[in-house]
This record gives sequence, structure tokens and C-alpha cells, in this order.
Amino acid sequence: MSHLHVPDGVLPAWLWIAGLALAMLLLSWRSGAADPASPRTRRAIATKGALGAVVLVAMTLPLGPLDIHVTLAGLVGILLGARAAFEVGFIVSAILALMGHGGLTVVGLNALVFGVAAGSAGPLYALLAPRTGAAAAMMWATAIGQALAGVGWLALALAGIESHAGHEAGRHAGRLAGIGLPLWAAGIAVEALVAFGVGRFLARVHPGLLPDGAARAASGPTPSTRGAETAAGTPVR
Amino acid sequence: MSHLLARLDFHASAGGTPWHRASALTKLALAVALVGAAVAAPGLALLLALHAVAWTLALTSGLPARVLAGAAGYPLLFTGLFVVTLWDGTAGTPLRLVLRPLTASLAAVWLVGTTPYPDVFAPLSRVLPRSTGDGLFLTYRALFTLLGRAERLWRALRLRGGLAGPARRRLALAGESLGTLVVHGFERSERLYATMQLRGHSGRICGCRHWTEVSPADAWVAGAGLVLIAAAVVLWRWP
Repeated sequence: MSHLHVPDGVLPAWLWIAGLALAMLLLSWRSGAADPASPRTRRAIATKGALGAVVLVAMTLPLGPLDIHVTLAGLVGILLGARAAFEVGFIVSAILALMGHGGLTVVGLNALVFGVAAGSAGPLYALLAPRTGAAAAMMWATAIGQALAGVGWLALALAGIESHAGHEAGRHAGRLAGIGLPLWAAGIAVEALVAFGVGRFLARVHPGLLPDGAARAASGPTPSTRGAETAAGTPVR
Repeated sequence: MSHLLARLDFHASAGGTPWHRASALTKLALAVALVGAAVAAPGLALLLALHAVAWTLALTSGLPARVLAGAAGYPLLFTGLFVVTLWDGTAGTPLRLVLRPLTASLAAVWLVGTTPYPDVFAPLSRVLPRSTGDGLFLTYRALFTLLGRAERLWRALRLRGGLAGPARRRLALAGESLGTLVVHGFERSERLYATMQLRGHSGRICGCRHWTEVSPADAWVAGAGLVLIAAAVVLWRWP
């Protein structure tokens, strides 16, 4: 649900223009502060490019009916942090829109909704990982992030309905909730379970990719990783 | 979707229609104008005219019918949700809801299917912050190598029974497979970083400069733009 599928022409112009302006503002914020030729900036650009491609690829893999696919927004937020994840969200939304997938006018809003899922997953993961282990923390952080993004998605969809239906918006909103809420719940479950799998894999094979302290968390109580060995041969406690 | 991306990318570089020879800048301007007019069109008459322009562009772009159908069909799936939600018993509301995104997606596919990606991204990267513009190029470049890897991985997962059994197990296994792509993505980013160091990345990936080169083929784009303007002027007040 962090990949906004509101088509062009549904949302009022003031909303998508404001979304695009806010997204550009957030992208520009502190972007001039970093030295563009510094090794750190180059490395960050390379990482964002690579993970953006992983997100796009993940979106092409069908996981169920009605074109349900994951976005990996939570994972990107956890691995890269909120700001970089938002940038990845914008890039992915722009490329998808250019391919006719997702509205062109809602690229800014799409990136903002992606940013909500990614931005909230990072701190939640940091909070949960020491207690539950990397895989479970990634699952819960992703689920909560997706739920928050879904609230944002529903708010935007309701704004679209309000602009079309006027005083009958309440009746139409009921219909949207009837169709949208089950999809929302299914999306959260799919995204969370896939995040669990990714977290389990990274904790076992490449814990160094997880944020600070996660390597320690990887040795936590995730049953499937207990007693296993990493690719480097280091036992996972 | 992966096949659609690959085929669009192939036809953008391999096509030989006048649209392919026109500059990216004029095509981008036409696509933006078409999408803007479709979203803002107050009446159905103008929307239908714009939709006809979008189909004309798409059908003359040399893109295979399957690619066009895939690109046009995708927004319909999600527009359906809003058509059902906003159903008011009239034909006008569903028509508006369907024609607007369809026109926009056809315009986008026409642009991307007739313009190589460096030419599309070069003007966009001029208006985006530096790191975002560079990210566009690098993400798109990394995409196709990862797509091939993902397809092989998915096939292996299916053959080994990874996509069978209860949903909880299937999705967790799918996540583990995506984990290998994440690790590969990070390793790739390290190689990319080393390449950028070696080639002396100066803080901006410039893309090519062909996007501003105007050719006689741009007259076709200008002609389509004039049709769009004429339609907007004549039909703006029509219901």
C-alpha cells in the first residue's frame, strides 16, 4: 500500500501540486550541504541507485492475485534511513510513472506515502531489534510502516472522492473502505512476511548490512537462524 | 511488468519512426501538455479528443500492440476501484475516470518508447536535486541486470517448490530470495562506487546532450502540439 495506485485525474489539482511541491522541497532539503564529489556522497548515490533497482525489481514479482506486489519500503527505510529512502521512493515512483505504472501527476504524493512507510520503519526497527531479533523487528517495523502509509493512502483517496462526489462523499467512501480495507490488510500481511524473510536472510548471511546493533540482534531469538552459520562461517548465536 | 520494461527500453533505442528522431525536449513538452490538458479537461468532448491524440501518438510509435495493451491496461485495473467507488449511475463519471489515466499513461509510454532513457532523464535531472538526478540514471542502469537475476531466481524458487505450501512459508521464502537481491544490490553498489571513483565522477552524471538537438522530425511533434492546442481552444467549453 505504500505504492500509491491513485490514477491521474482522480485527485484535485491542489492536492497533487502540493504533494509534488512538498516532495521537491524534501528532496532539496540539505541536498546542497553535501560535497557532490566527496567519496561519501558518491557511495551514497551508488547505494541508492542499487537499492532503487532492487525495489523496482521487487515490484515486478507477482505475489498473488490483483497484482499484489511488495514495495520493500520498510526495508529501504531500515537500511538507508528516512531521507535516502524517500529519495529512492521518488526515483522509483518517477520511473514507474514514466512506464505508465502509477499516475504521472501523483509522483510526489507517491513518494511521500513511500517515505511515510520507510521513514517510520527505521526508528521502529531500531527500537524492536534488540528485543525481538532482526527478522521479527523488520517484520513488525514494516507492518506498522505500511499501516501508517495505508492511512495516508486512504486519506488521499478520500480527498479524491470528496472532490468528485461532493455531498455524497460519505456513501462513496463506504464503498472505497469496503474494497480498499481488505486490500490494505492483505498488502500489510504480504509486505510484513516478505520483510521477515529478508530480515532472516540478512541476519544469517550478511548481518553487517543491518543498522548498528542489528548484528547483535541477529543472534536473538529468531528460531530459524539459531544454530545456523553465516556465509563467512561465523556461527550465528 | 519486467518484459514491458525491457521491450519499451529496446524499442526506444531501436525504433525508426519520426518520433524516434525528434528531440527529447519537444516530446517531453508535448507529453506534459497532453497529460496536463487531460487532467484539467472540464468536459468529455475535449477529453475524448485528447484521448484520440494519445492513441494516435501511441499507435504511430512503432511499439508492438502487446506493449501498448500492457501499458494501457495497467492503469485500468486501479481505475476500476475508483469507477466502482464513485459510481453515480451516469456514463460521464466513469468515462472521465477511465480516459484521464489512460490518456496520461499512453502519453508516457509514447515518450519512453520513442526516447532512449538518457535523453528522457537528462532534462529531468536538470530540475531535480543533483543526487536525485544521478539516482535516476543509476537506478535505471542497475534495473536490467537485476531483472535478469530476479527472473532466474524466481524460476529456481518455483522449480524447487519454494512457491508451494502455505502463504506464510511462501512469502517468507520469497523474502529470503529478495534478500539475495539486496545483498547483490549492495555488492553492485560497491562496484559502481569504484567505477565512479575511477572515472572521476565530478558530482553530476550529465547524460547525453542529444535531448536538445532539434531535427526536421520535430515538425511532427510541433504538429501534434498544434492539434492539441486547437482541440483545447475549440472544445474547452464543450460539455
